[in-house]
Amino acid sequence: MSDLLEAAAAPPGGWLARYEPVVGSGTLRALEALARRLKGHRIVMVNTTKTGGGVAEILHRVVVILNELGVPTTWEVMGGDDRFFGVTKRMHNAFHGHVEPLTEEDKEIYRERTRIEAERLELDGDLIFIHDPQPAGLIEHRREPGQHWMWRCHIDLSRRDEAYWEFLRPLVAQYDTAIFSHIGFVPPLDLPTFLVPPSIDPFAEKNREMGDAEVDAVLDKLGLEGGSWMTQISRFDRIKDPLGVIEAYRLVRKRRSSAKLLLAGGGASDDPEGAEVLAEVREKSKGLSGVTILELPPGSDLEINALQRASTVVLQKSLREGFALTVSEALWKRRAVVASAVGGIPLQVLHEQTGLLVHSIEGTAFQTIRLLDNPDLRRELGAEGREHVRDNFLHTREVRDYIAAFVAMV
Amino acid sequence: MSEPFHLISVAHLEAPAGLVAASIDALRDAIERAPDDAIFQHVTRLPIRHPHARDLPGNDFARWVRTALQAPEAAERLSFAGYDHSRPIAEVRASLLEALERVPARDRRREAAEEATFHFISAHSVRVPLEVEVNTPLDIVDLWPKLDPASVFYHLIEAPARGHADASLVTWLERQGAKGMARAAAEEVAEGRPLERLRRELGTRWRRSQIGRRIAEKAGTPEAERRRDATATIARLAGRLRESASSPPEPEPPTAGMSPETVDGTAMAPKEGPSS
Repeated sequence: MSDLLEAAAAPPGGWLARYEPVVGSGTLRALEALARRLKGHRIVMVNTTKTGGGVAEILHRVVVILNELGVPTTWEVMGGDDRFFGVTKRMHNAFHGHVEPLTEEDKEIYRERTRIEAERLELDGDLIFIHDPQPAGLIEHRREPGQHWMWRCHIDLSRRDEAYWEFLRPLVAQYDTAIFSHIGFVPPLDLPTFLVPPSIDPFAEKNREMGDAEVDAVLDKLGLEGGSWMTQISRFDRIKDPLGVIEAYRLVRKRRSSAKLLLAGGGASDDPEGAEVLAEVREKSKGLSGVTILELPPGSDLEINALQRASTVVLQKSLREGFALTVSEALWKRRAVVASAVGGIPLQVLHEQTGLLVHSIEGTAFQTIRLLDNPDLRRELGAEGREHVRDNFLHTREVRDYIAAFVAMV
Repeated sequence: MSEPFHLISVAHLEAPAGLVAASIDALRDAIERAPDDAIFQHVTRLPIRHPHARDLPGNDFARWVRTALQAPEAAERLSFAGYDHSRPIAEVRASLLEALERVPARDRRREAAEEATFHFISAHSVRVPLEVEVNTPLDIVDLWPKLDPASVFYHLIEAPARGHADASLVTWLERQGAKGMARAAAEEVAEGRPLERLRRELGTRWRRSQIGRRIAEKAGTPEAERRRDATATIARLAGRLRESASSPPEPEPPTAGMSPETVDGTAMAPKEGPSS
């Protein structure tokens, strides 16, 4: 626990204080007043990793902010072996719509690890906040009188494999409350359910302010020059439709010869399917001028920040999505965004207000050309997009929603 | 006559309302049965869901009818029915239902695609006492730029809409005899603007309404003191101009670093209830 908080060591003055110029002092005072309603309570967050992935990234900040608000909050990480994480990885895939077998042995592996971890973890608060399916079973072993248990599901369950869900549902049904990121992700559940979208940290390396010189230095390092970049930064995965992006670029390029395409992402070297998709992307872009493909290693936050800032248009042409916080990251940088109307994207991109929503390759090309030709429109959408993120997708809002959910429970 | 006004903020917790619609008739049926919290979420709450927008989009029902059902006439009627966000929720619901009754038959036959079905969401309000009370209308003018957006929204829009009369700022101002301030607030709310624009424009009207009173007050102070105040005011104004010239182009967040002194250079004395 202590090393987790050290990793998230607050800057002088605290994390919360840094938000004051961003969200305003009134918002912070109201957040403090809301937090006072949890006086005497103690939160324990539980997930299965302290590094890597969006949930750990959010918890590093949210735990610190809650403590700064005077709500004692600790963070426990459930451990596991390869067999357990093999099962939960298949479970994760199955909830995203991939057909995966679920055997009795898998169920027993999940139950056994849950029993072991239930004895080890310090769940000594009265508000227990469990993140995602992996630690969901802890409630069976550790629920004590007077405790309130909340299950926070960060993944989209709309295409869930029913066999896995039937295994998990009796566990989830024991919770007092569930939280999902988007109404479209919610399965039928007979318990109070709230909707809390995820959020970004404006001070993280991926989002912090960067001057032009710093951006240029990163581009130099990557061997890139300025220009009219249309950029998609996503892992090389079919659901992100990088081949569709290349098709859209081909259409754009016929009409705007100065346009350039940057496809950047990770996940190819350690993911066989990612490597396959990357090979397809390279093949499809052969002979097409102005295309740059970058494979970014994990931890390339600074590079992502610079690439987004250097882009004229940021694309997120996914076929399916979870919440797609990359969109909020681009909007926070005042970028003009063209994105598919899937998953959580329409909450972030309000069509013609904070960005442009599309449903096809042709739509992507059309809206990209519109933006390439119209700096005023880019500026207006970018400015409004930043305000939309400020109001709805920063950590302070997510913390407020969690506290409000606990207040509603206790 | 003078009664304190207790400032409250609010956090809105969204939750699935358990109702869906894929056509005009289904929408009508669902609006009739929807909990107040759902009408509140999709219509009343709009100004705080988009507080910094240039203009408010139409309410959620209107936008869905326009985009998913491609029925612009019905969408316009629904937009109009949802105007003036501080109206009681029962009235809003009745207006929406009336608008839907008048939708032409050709539009009633339209069905949204499955992925474009309208899911109703409820917004449950968690009220948060700010442990701040104001005693006169001028206290409100003083605090106005610093209040958090949720508090502004609650006292101007949500409280009247939900029938929390004790927390309605307009009602309190009227009771304090500040009829001009109350009228200005009611008029600005009825304009249907994004919250921060509403806050800014109302704050400007309130401050302007105080100019005459402040001049009259200053007339009674010694000449030397007036000169000192004037010099200090000009110095502050010059400081602000220097700051804005050297700062990046991004607009300041709405509630940070502003105070009535820096806005018009004159401290508001919370003494009496004005009637402008």
